[in-house]
Amino acid sequence: MDETYVWTVIIALAAVTLLTRMSFITFAAHLELPLLLRRALAYVAPAILAAIIATQVFPPTPAGNASLDLPRLGAALLAFAVAWRTRSNMATIVVGMLALWSLQALLG
Amino acid sequence: MMRAAMTSAPAQRTPPNTTSPWRAGVSASLPVALGVMPFGAVCGASAAAAGLDFNESFALSWIVFAGSAQVVAVHLMASGAPVWVTLLTGWLVNLRFMMYSAAVAPCFRDSTRAQRTLAAYLLVDQSFALTLAQMADKRPPPYCAAFYLGLSIAMWVQWQVASIAGILLGSFIPPSWSIEFVVALLFIGLIVPLLQHRLARVAALAGAAIALAPQLPFRLNLMAAALAGAALAMVLERTWMKPTSGR
Repeated sequence: MDETYVWTVIIALAAVTLLTRMSFITFAAHLELPLLLRRALAYVAPAILAAIIATQVFPPTPAGNASLDLPRLGAALLAFAVAWRTRSNMATIVVGMLALWSLQALLG
Repeated sequence: MMRAAMTSAPAQRTPPNTTSPWRAGVSASLPVALGVMPFGAVCGASAAAAGLDFNESFALSWIVFAGSAQVVAVHLMASGAPVWVTLLTGWLVNLRFMMYSAAVAPCFRDSTRAQRTLAAYLLVDQSFALTLAQMADKRPPPYCAAFYLGLSIAMWVQWQVASIAGILLGSFIPPSWSIEFVVALLFIGLIVPLLQHRLARVAALAGAAIALAPQLPFRLNLMAAALAGAALAMVLERTWMKPTSGR
């Protein structure tokens, strides 16, 4: 990957992330986050997490379109059930990866 | 000297309610490390697997220090997204820090500017959640500030150690192992507790649908998914919640 590109992203992302973290702790300790913004932020997290999960479970083809990958879909559904029941990230990852490898071996 | 050594030795055996807030914070990081360290290793491995060299992967881990955004940035860089898209999408992932910053800010009212800036740099999901629990116990600000810093510095060290291990291993793991799928599994673990709320489920479904829709230019799908998912939930909150609460 192009070095300038990667370092630009790293440094710029670090800067905006630090400013976001500093917002209230450093600059405005006596202020409160407006309710509307707080509600919006509460929905951004599930939306973007689900979007990232979706792109991993339905991997994009070289053309950029989502594709059906049965081992990934099966492993993700099983992992979701485990996460729902146990609330354990470790159990979710272990079961999910074992399911993925088993299904990949079974379905070729 | 002797006296000090003799008085401090039994103090170490006393129950945790008399320990310093720093030490309480460091102790609180230990159970969390079970979740934090594998995540750090995955983030390091995903950067190395995507073709970043050691310095770049490690810089991402210690300068940005935000796992989910690191994974997203690596994913977008690997797919050749423009700088502004990678930056804005990563920032959207990190916007939750503004909410956390507002929540823990009362701990740092008496702190110096340097301490506040250090505290801000170290802010992550776990330091926010665990410190909030301490604040609920009505501890005074100096206690929760020290607890927060002890906890956060310990987690920072754990994260960097795990990242380095991940970066070193990541370049050796063959692509046929599909190790990048661990990211999806990790995020499944993170999203499940958020889905208690009906509108959070709507936001998640909308986000997933937009991420899978035919590709927008500039790899804008993730950003569109976050914004549209949140906007839809906000609109529905207004239309659904009002009649329910009025009844």
